[in-house]
Amino acid sequence: MNRTGFSVAGAAGVILAVTAFGARAQDDGAAFDQGRTIYEQNCAQCHQPSGEGIPPSFPALAGNDNLEDPALIVNNVRNGRQAMPAFPDLGAEEIAAVATYVRSAWSNDYGAVSADEVSEILQTLDGEGEDGDQAAQTTIWDGVYTQSQADDARLIYIGACAACHGTRLNGAPAEADMGSGPPLAGPAFLREWGGRSVAALFEYTRSTMPQRNPGQYSDQQYADIIAYMLSYGDAPAGDTPLPADISELSNIIIEAEDG
Amino acid sequence: MTRKRNKDQVTGSESDPVDPEEKGLSRRDFVKGGAAVGAGAAVISEPGRVEASEHGDEMEWHYEADIVVIGAGCTGIPAAIRAHDLGASVLVLDQNFDAGGRMAHSGSWVSLGGGDAVQVRDANGETDAEGFINVDPLVSPEALDDDVDLLFKDVTDWSVLDEQGYAYYRFNNPDQHRGWAENCPPTREFLMDNYIRFARINGTHFGGGVSRARAASCFLMLGEVTDIKNGTITPEDAGVADPERSSAFCPRQLSISADRTNVNAVHGGGAMARCLEFSAREKGVRFMFNRHMDELIRDHNGQIIGVRASYTPRHDPDTGEQLTSYWSAGNIDETRETINVRARRAVVVGAGGHAGNPAFRSQFYPRMNEPWYPTSGYALLGYGRGQDASGIIAGINVGASLDGLHQNFGRRTYHIQTRIGTRDAYTDMYPGHPTFPFRKSAGFDIGQSGFEHLIAVNQVGKRFFNEMRLADEPIEPRWPGGQPHGVPNEWDNHTPYDWRNCRREWVREMYHFSHGVDAAVQINEGSIGPEYYSGPIWAIFDQAAVDRGQFELREPYFSSENGCFFQADTIEELIEKIYAGNEYQRMRPNYLVDTVNQWNSYVDQGEDPDFERGQSDAPMHRIDQPPYYAASIMVVWHDSYGGLRINRNCQVLDMQGNPIPGLYAGGESSGGGQMHGLGRATVHGYIAGTHAVNGGVVGESR
Repeated sequence: MNRTGFSVAGAAGVILAVTAFGARAQDDGAAFDQGRTIYEQNCAQCHQPSGEGIPPSFPALAGNDNLEDPALIVNNVRNGRQAMPAFPDLGAEEIAAVATYVRSAWSNDYGAVSADEVSEILQTLDGEGEDGDQAAQTTIWDGVYTQSQADDARLIYIGACAACHGTRLNGAPAEADMGSGPPLAGPAFLREWGGRSVAALFEYTRSTMPQRNPGQYSDQQYADIIAYMLSYGDAPAGDTPLPADISELSNIIIEAEDG
Repeated sequence: MTRKRNKDQVTGSESDPVDPEEKGLSRRDFVKGGAAVGAGAAVISEPGRVEASEHGDEMEWHYEADIVVIGAGCTGIPAAIRAHDLGASVLVLDQNFDAGGRMAHSGSWVSLGGGDAVQVRDANGETDAEGFINVDPLVSPEALDDDVDLLFKDVTDWSVLDEQGYAYYRFNNPDQHRGWAENCPPTREFLMDNYIRFARINGTHFGGGVSRARAASCFLMLGEVTDIKNGTITPEDAGVADPERSSAFCPRQLSISADRTNVNAVHGGGAMARCLEFSAREKGVRFMFNRHMDELIRDHNGQIIGVRASYTPRHDPDTGEQLTSYWSAGNIDETRETINVRARRAVVVGAGGHAGNPAFRSQFYPRMNEPWYPTSGYALLGYGRGQDASGIIAGINVGASLDGLHQNFGRRTYHIQTRIGTRDAYTDMYPGHPTFPFRKSAGFDIGQSGFEHLIAVNQVGKRFFNEMRLADEPIEPRWPGGQPHGVPNEWDNHTPYDWRNCRREWVREMYHFSHGVDAAVQINEGSIGPEYYSGPIWAIFDQAAVDRGQFELREPYFSSENGCFFQADTIEELIEKIYAGNEYQRMRPNYLVDTVNQWNSYVDQGEDPDFERGQSDAPMHRIDQPPYYAASIMVVWHDSYGGLRINRNCQVLDMQGNPIPGLYAGGESSGGGQMHGLGRATVHGYIAGTHAVNGGVVGESR
C-alpha cells in the first residue's frame, strides 16, 4: 500500500477540463490493436484478459466508469497507483493505444484517446512547457508568490493540513492519534517533488486534500496553501501571487535551491 | 466558579455552580437526604459512624453520597452528571489535582453514531443551534444515514482486519456493544445538553466501524472572554496565542478548526473536558481531588457499599507549591491520609486504564515492564498514578472478571513516537500549564521522515533496527474504508460480516507491519535478570543533522534538566553525560563510539548490511560534525484495551457472569472492545449513571 508516497494518480481528473484536445485520430483500429498487445503484455496479469480484474486487489476495467477520464489513465500508467507499478518506458503513443484499448474493449464505450491528448496531459503533469523548452521556465526560487498570500493562508493550513503534515510542515502530525504525513517543506519534500511542476502539486492537492474531504477549499485557497508551503520552505516571495491556473503553474518547476 | 485569575471572564454569576452550603443545605440536611434521593440536592455528608450493612458491621464513614464516581474523566463526569440529573447525590473522587483526566489531553474526537443528532444535523445540511459552524457538511448524507443495528453490526464485524491481519472487532463483547450502540444517540444529545458543541462529522474513530461517518470534534469559538455558556474561549486559554505556551485551562493547545467548524473556532480536549466539568459543577456535582481510590468496600452480601481512598496531593517539583484545580466550586477539600466514602447506591469506576502501570501492562506484553516508558499524558496525570490500573485491581479484589485482555494488540497501543527529547512523548504541552514542570520539555516532533537524520541506539549504544521504519504503525481500518484505510472496499461497498473482507488474497496484498517497537524493548546486552529491562533508546545525531532537519534545540522543546537531551563535543563525552543524566540508563552506552564509526562507514559504502537501511529509504548521512547530541526516543503505551468485564448496563460482572451489586465501570477501566476512547467512555458514563440510579440494585432505603 502506498502510505506516504505522493501518487499523482487519481488526482488528474480535473486537468482534463483545462486541456484543449486535438482532433481525434481517424485510425482508431490500429491503435486498438497496438493497445491490445500492450495490454496483454503488461496489464492482463492483474486486470485479466477479460478486463474483470481480481477485485478487490485488482479492479475490473470492464465497465469501470473511471476510464471516462483519460488523464486518470495516463497518470496511473505513467506514475503507478498503490499496487499498480509505474510504466515509465511507455511513450505517449503507446499510452494512447492502451488507453484506447481499455476504453473500447469488452463492452466499454468510452472512445479512443489520441497520442496528442496523452502528450498534453504528460506535459502538464511533468512540468514540461508546451514546447518542451525547460530553459524558459521559472522555478519556485524565482519569487512566484507574495508574502501576504502565504501569511493569509497560515490559518487554513493549520486548520486543514497540520493534523497530518504538522505545524512545522515536517510531517510530524499535530494531532497525536494521526500517523506521520509526508513533509511539505524542506529536503524530503524537495526530493519527492523535485523536477515536477507546481501544477502537478496543485492538482494533487486540490484533488486529494484534505484527505477526509478533498476539494473543500477554493482553487485560489489551494494555491494560497502552496504559497504558504513555499514560504515555509524559504523560497523567496515575489510581487505576484501564485495563481490558480494550471497552465501558468505548469511552467513553475519544483527543485532544490541549488538546482 | 472561583478561579484566581479570570473569574469574571469564565462565568457570569448566574452560571456559577451553587455551593450547597449557600443553597441552604446544612450538613444535617445532607444526612437526612440520604434516605431519599431529592432532585437536584447535592447530598454529601459526614455522618460519623453508620451501619455498613444489614449484618450490622460497624464501619467509620467520612463521607457518603448516593453515587460515588471514581475518576473525573470522560467516563466519570458523564456518569456523575447523568446520575445527578436523575436526582442522585454524586461525589466524584480523582487522584489528580484537577478534573478532565485523559479527556483533557485528547483530540476531543467523539465517535458515536447510530443516527445521532450530529449525524442528522449534517445530513440535513443544517448548522449548529448557535450558528457557529460555517463550513458545509464534510460528509455526504448517505454516509450519515446510520442506525443502531448497523452500528452494532459494524462494531462486531468479524471480517474487518487491520494491516497486521488482526481482526479485533471480532473479539468485541456483543452484549456490551449492543448496549453501547443503543445509547450512542441519547449520549450525543446528553453531551450537547451539557455545553458540548460538536463540529462537522469528519470521519469515524478507530473502532467505531467502517460503514458510516460518526465522529465529530468538540469546539469553542475564539473570543474576548472564556465563557462556556456562550461558547467562547480566549486565544490565551485556548493556547493559540503563542505557539510555545499552554494554559492552565487547556493542558494541550487547542487546534484551529478551519476544516470542520470555522476558521475562528478551536477544537480539542480542553474544549470538551472543561465544558463537561463546568456543567457538572453548575448542576451541583461535588468533587474531591487529590484522592486516590485504593479499595472497594463490600458488605457481607457482596454489595459494594463504598471505597477507601488516600490523599495524593501534587506539588510543583520546582517551587514545592501544591497544585490546585482550575475551578473550585463544588470542591471538597479533604486532607486526611485515608478516608472511607460510603456509596448508598453504587460506585462507578471510571478510573482509567492500565497503561501507566508497568507491572500490570506487562501481563499483556512482558517487554513493556520497563518503567522508563510511561503512559501518554503522564505529566498531566501524575507518574505512577494516572492510568495505574487501580480501578481494575480494586475490581479484581472484589471478585470481578476481566475482558478483552489481548486487545491491546489490535491496534498496537504501545508504539514509538516521533517526538524526541521528552519522556511524555505522545503529546506536546508547553509552559503555562501547572504540570509542565513534571516534563520540562515539550519535545520536538521530527516526523517519520526526520529519522533520516539520526541513528537510534539502545542502552548499550547499539543500533537495533532500521531507523526509517522504527515508528511505523499499522493502518487502522475505519470509515471511509478502501485501500488507504486498510479495508478492501469503500464504506458504500462494504458488507459487514462478509468473508471476502478477509479473504486470503486481500490479506496478502494489504499486509504491512513493522516490528520496530518490538526490537526497541527487547532484551539486550545491558538487560539484567530478573527484570531484563530494555532501558532507554536514544536518537544520536550531529550538528549537521540539526541544520538539515531544522531541529530547534532550545527550550521549551528540549531541556537539559530532564534526562532526555544531552550535548557533547565528542561521542565519548556524550556517553558519560547519558549515563550520568538519566536514572534509567543503568550502564554506560559504551558501544556508541564503535556504532557511530560503523554507521559512518556504512554511509560511505551507501548501504547498511546490519539493518538494510539504504538510500531507497532516505539519504544516509554521516555523523561527524560536532557537537553531538542524544535525545530520548520513547515507546509510549497510550490507550488501554482490556479491563473489568461489564454487561450492557456497565455493571461489573463476577467470574460467574453475574453483576456485582453496586459496582459499575466504563471507559478504559473496562474491557471487551476495540471501540475505545471518548466514544466508548462517554456512553459508558451515560449508561452507568442512568442504570445506577434508575435500574440499580434495591437496598434498604430505595
